[in-house]
Amino acid sequence: MNGPVTYDELASLMKGRAGLDVDTATLEERPDAEFAVFDLDSLGLLGIVSELEKRYGRSIGGEPEMAKTPRAFLTIVNEQLKAGV
Amino acid sequence: MRRSSDTPPRAVITGAGVIAPNGSGCDGFWKAVLQGTVALDRVSREGCTHLPLRVAGEVRGFEPEPLVESRFLVQTDRFTHFAMAAADLALEDARLTGDPQAPFTIGVTTAAGSGGGEFGQRELQELWGNGPHFVGPYQSIAWFYAASTGQISIRGGFRGPCGVLANDEAGGLDVFAHARRALGHGTRAVVTGATEAPLAPYSMVCQLGYPELSLAEDPHRAYLPFTEHACGFSPAEGGAMFVVEDEDWARRRDARIRAQVVGHASTFTGTRSWEHSRQGLARAIQGALDDAGCDPEEVDVVFADALGVPAADQAEALAISDALGVRAADVPVTAPKAGFGRAFSAASALDVAAAVFALEHGAVPPTPNVAEVRVDLDVVTGHARSVPLRTALVLSRGLMGCNSALVLRRADDGGHS
Repeated sequence: MNGPVTYDELASLMKGRAGLDVDTATLEERPDAEFAVFDLDSLGLLGIVSELEKRYGRSIGGEPEMAKTPRAFLTIVNEQLKAGV
Repeated sequence: MRRSSDTPPRAVITGAGVIAPNGSGCDGFWKAVLQGTVALDRVSREGCTHLPLRVAGEVRGFEPEPLVESRFLVQTDRFTHFAMAAADLALEDARLTGDPQAPFTIGVTTAAGSGGGEFGQRELQELWGNGPHFVGPYQSIAWFYAASTGQISIRGGFRGPCGVLANDEAGGLDVFAHARRALGHGTRAVVTGATEAPLAPYSMVCQLGYPELSLAEDPHRAYLPFTEHACGFSPAEGGAMFVVEDEDWARRRDARIRAQVVGHASTFTGTRSWEHSRQGLARAIQGALDDAGCDPEEVDVVFADALGVPAADQAEALAISDALGVRAADVPVTAPKAGFGRAFSAASALDVAAAVFALEHGAVPPTPNVAEVRVDLDVVTGHARSVPLRTALVLSRGLMGCNSALVLRRADDGGHS
């Protein structure tokens, strides 16, 4: 699999890994809102990166765990997956 | 009613929240304690039933959802689930909510001795079974003794003085001293207490090394403090959280004052043998009474540590005698925990809850399962005893050598401003 990781997948990861009820539409409407607005902390984001690395079977560079917003996060993750790094 | 600035604040308990094997909520717990209900039972927790520890006090039917939001549940162990749920109950009981405009007025202090063993075991099994990528990042915080204080603080927006005591059983009393000390200087209240969840496979195996642990099979005979059949203690889970508040502020907001926290002292006598705890516990009692400005004759009830080990029980009886003198012979002594177990640091916090309710109701609850005692104390057995109560002494000793005493008083005016 090479992605792309979607807002839908991100929303389900936020639920599964961090216990947050955020729906896909909200993420799509507010892709530049900070993760803190959705109550996602840095450890929660780290858990999501770890889960994606398991799913896609590779480590994801580019420090996506440092991203502040859903759009920034998905941009890094999908660039990394597309590049096949 | 402003006090002069050189007088330290008086600490009062304005809210209590209990989650215990014998009942939860103030009313459920007190009813079971008063009736001497035996909640000790055969260990039923998954992964534990083959271990040589057969009897414990499990909190059954506790569902953290919907009490606590899932985003806090995924990153915390059961002991923190208990702590967050009990803190909610205490805050609700105190009718106190955090003020976002004044986040530094409320602090949090908890004690923990077992930590998040269940969470930690699950993640370490992932590490060894599947590899580092299968370990969730919340492992870094969930197992830790400080987790409950941190999560209660974050969840409630309480940014006042926060602390964690990881000493031993006595920590459940020592948190009240910390809370009391934190009041003033802009701090109006401290959410304080202790909860434990040591009934999971890894945590249970750790306890098997304690020679004081009862391996008896019969829930009615496993934990018999102060008797000739004493064969150790049965562990338990759960705990109690409280709102400890500056009395001036409590009265200003017309809160119900459930009890005053008037004295505390602690000592350390190490782990050499339980005989040594006599001197340390006596000294702690004397220190707490001095702190409270209370004569031994004024002590109306003693909530004993009641380890259930003959040498320890004898040392406690002698310590009470050393510290209370002639009053030791006729003061009612009780150990409600004989009915539901000793929840490590939370055991003494649960005793504080029982003591607060006893002061309010004028009743000394019985020591369940205990009939005849072999110490020179008036241990209350069988049925609760109705007696006017103004001052309660709560005692705790830990397996690591700490001894603590806490003195509580009924509110002067019955709790109403």
